[in-house]
Amino acid sequence: MSRSLKKGPYIFHKLEKRVVEAAQSNKKVTIKTWSRASMISPDFVGQTIAVHNGNKFIPVYVTENMVGHKLGEFAPTRIFRGHAGQKDKGNK
Amino acid sequence: MDKKDCFNLGKITKPVGLKGEVVFFLDVDEPSYYASLDSVFVEVKNHLVPYFIESIRINGNKATVRFEGINREESLALIGCELYLPLELLPKLTGKKFYFHEIIGFRVVDSQKGDIGTVASVIDFPAQPLFQITNNGTEILLPIIDQLIDDVDRANKTISVTAPNGLIDIYLKN
Repeated sequence: MSRSLKKGPYIFHKLEKRVVEAAQSNKKVTIKTWSRASMISPDFVGQTIAVHNGNKFIPVYVTENMVGHKLGEFAPTRIFRGHAGQKDKGNK
Repeated sequence: MDKKDCFNLGKITKPVGLKGEVVFFLDVDEPSYYASLDSVFVEVKNHLVPYFIESIRINGNKATVRFEGINREESLALIGCELYLPLELLPKLTGKKFYFHEIIGFRVVDSQKGDIGTVASVIDFPAQPLFQITNNGTEILLPIIDQLIDDVDRANKTISVTAPNGLIDIYLKN
């Protein structure tokens, strides 16, 4: 179920404030955030956001086609390293 | 031929007709570059086996291929197999374009911080690939985008970048 239109998109207020400040000053700074649920608004475009994935910060350079998505989508929390025993499969 | 010296060209998807032809999916940027292939390595049970190509027709990112000495029954056994070619056959890239495998071990020089380390690997995230740079055991991640890369010097094995303010400090301070 999608979020009510009345509420508008969720963006963590401190993150939004820092992004707007960076966009207005035209500075290319990196903004650290733990708020993976924040939606990327058009103000974010051109900024680099370091999104925490639970272990480390993943830098995300925001482009136009990311607008409307959430920051967490671009900082995966899991890395697929293959299925167990797959390497030995060919030797049988 | 070892798999680490090759790149993945695509995958055999289905048989065509009764003469042993197969269709394979070309997982490359420019399929037409491979219109005159004469041989290819097919991964069979984790081993690369060379197959000679009798005829090849490229259609978009798919190719219809007939291998020499392969009939329909034998071609059915190749369905689902991955195809490989030696790295030397990749078209050479110039300027700021590069293959991920060729920049492993390159020094990364930032316009403000100077030498920030060596490219250990490339993390190929779907949205944005990242340089994984090691600096005295510390990991630094940097997005691979045109806006940040200034120059790729293949002769001196260095990549010049302009990282956003504060990005490198995030990793070096932790």
